[in-house]
Amino acid sequence: MTTTGCPVAHGDHQGYEPFAQHDPFPAYARLRENEPVFHDERTGYWVVSRYDDVRAVFGDWETFSSENAQRPVTPRTAAAQQVLDDGGFTAYSGMSARQPPVHTRIRRSASAAFTPRRFKALEPQVEAHVRDLLEQVHRAGGPVDLVPTFTNQLPVMTILSLLGVDVDHSVESFKRWSDSRSAMTWGHLSDEEQLPHAEALVQYWQACLDLVAAAHRDRPDSLVGDLVRAQTENPEGALDDHEIASVCYSLLFAGHETTTTLLGNAVRLLLTHRDQWERLVADPSLAPGAIEEALRFSPSIVAWRRLARKDGEVAGVRIPEGSEVLLLMGAANRDPSRFEDPEVFDIGRANAREHLAFGYGIHFCLGNKLAKMQSAIALRELAASTPDLRLAVDPDTIEFPDSLSMRAPVAVPVTW
Amino acid sequence: MPIVTFTADDGTDREVDVPDGDSLMETAVRQGVPGIVGECGGALACATCHVFVVDADPADLPAMDEMEDEMLWGTAVDRRDESRLSCQLRPRRPMHVRTPETQQ
Repeated sequence: MTTTGCPVAHGDHQGYEPFAQHDPFPAYARLRENEPVFHDERTGYWVVSRYDDVRAVFGDWETFSSENAQRPVTPRTAAAQQVLDDGGFTAYSGMSARQPPVHTRIRRSASAAFTPRRFKALEPQVEAHVRDLLEQVHRAGGPVDLVPTFTNQLPVMTILSLLGVDVDHSVESFKRWSDSRSAMTWGHLSDEEQLPHAEALVQYWQACLDLVAAAHRDRPDSLVGDLVRAQTENPEGALDDHEIASVCYSLLFAGHETTTTLLGNAVRLLLTHRDQWERLVADPSLAPGAIEEALRFSPSIVAWRRLARKDGEVAGVRIPEGSEVLLLMGAANRDPSRFEDPEVFDIGRANAREHLAFGYGIHFCLGNKLAKMQSAIALRELAASTPDLRLAVDPDTIEFPDSLSMRAPVAVPVTW
Repeated sequence: MPIVTFTADDGTDREVDVPDGDSLMETAVRQGVPGIVGECGGALACATCHVFVVDADPADLPAMDEMEDEMLWGTAVDRRDESRLSCQLRPRRPMHVRTPETQQ
């Protein structure tokens, strides 16, 4: 993957570059102001950047369907497609790109794992994982990159604990597969770059199929076990094997990928706004607010797609049936009509949680509370154990790989 | 359109007309009723539209489904017998609810 430098030419759609993630925010601000809904001939998407408009499109799933949400932005090469076909890769989406009534049925089944009582029961495990990981970080000593040592680790451990999946695969496998899914769906890949990612996707999907097969064999006390049992015990509305594997494909990606990004961004932002870090150190009860503000200020997913199933309208602009729409949550979250002094990073912001980082409406992030819970614990423990934490590099040198949707720091080097 | 009274935790009343078929949460968010957040937009994923039902026609209180019940364990102010998530209520007659001290 390559990274694109900061755009400077403002004549071309206000300097907005669809794949450049180093610092999209100045262009977002100009888009909100000057071109709040425009057709981007480079990608073919209608781009929407104001808060009210983004939320309204998310809320109107009957006009603006999510069926294109997981479609590869860069068309797959014939060679990559061959690898996928030969490998039996038939996954598309677990939930995010499905529509009612199928979406409703699958989401209902998956929701059983995502309840507040389950999260409560999980909290001590998350706390133990955080402490173990931080102990290892401290033992290694700074400078250290928190991505491989901490932010990659915790969310995978959490989602596997929640799903009750005892898998042979390492955190590294899940992260490699997720990076490939992300790159193959939202990335800007050259033809040659696609092949290894296609191979990773085949392995990833096979692991999901294996989980379902194992659940048929061993009948484990886990979400996958429950979904398999429902096929015989409660067949009405039960998921078939391909749907269960698709739920795994969804949760084993969405269940950690964006939380890894959130943790990285939260630490990065707190350390580049030192006064905010000091506030958190002085008062760890600010951790949940710091997470909301990190989600607002720097959402893990800055842009998400919809498809007009019929003629629609956004802020008075007609969106013809069949058009694809790109919602810029990264821009909406800094809309001054919703957030006072939106460019200020303030962990005490009263309405930070009104951000659209998790979307809105029927596809609202199923794992939102899980993400917030573990991230707040992580920040709290990090601040308590390492009050002198600081970035080990100039923050401007931290890279964000090209992506239409994902804005994820590749590294968060710190020392103390 | 039925009129729904929201009583805030500090005792302030706010009356809103709820259009037929719309949920209490949607209406409250649209009208800016303090005390209702509704951050997920009705997906039963956030539990920030929690209300205590003070008075309602029983026909306007559909049986709680499993997911609403589960989500009510995650409210900011502990649930009580009269707790509901207002995204699940679409009243056709006047209703009176109280909003909790906080939704977060």
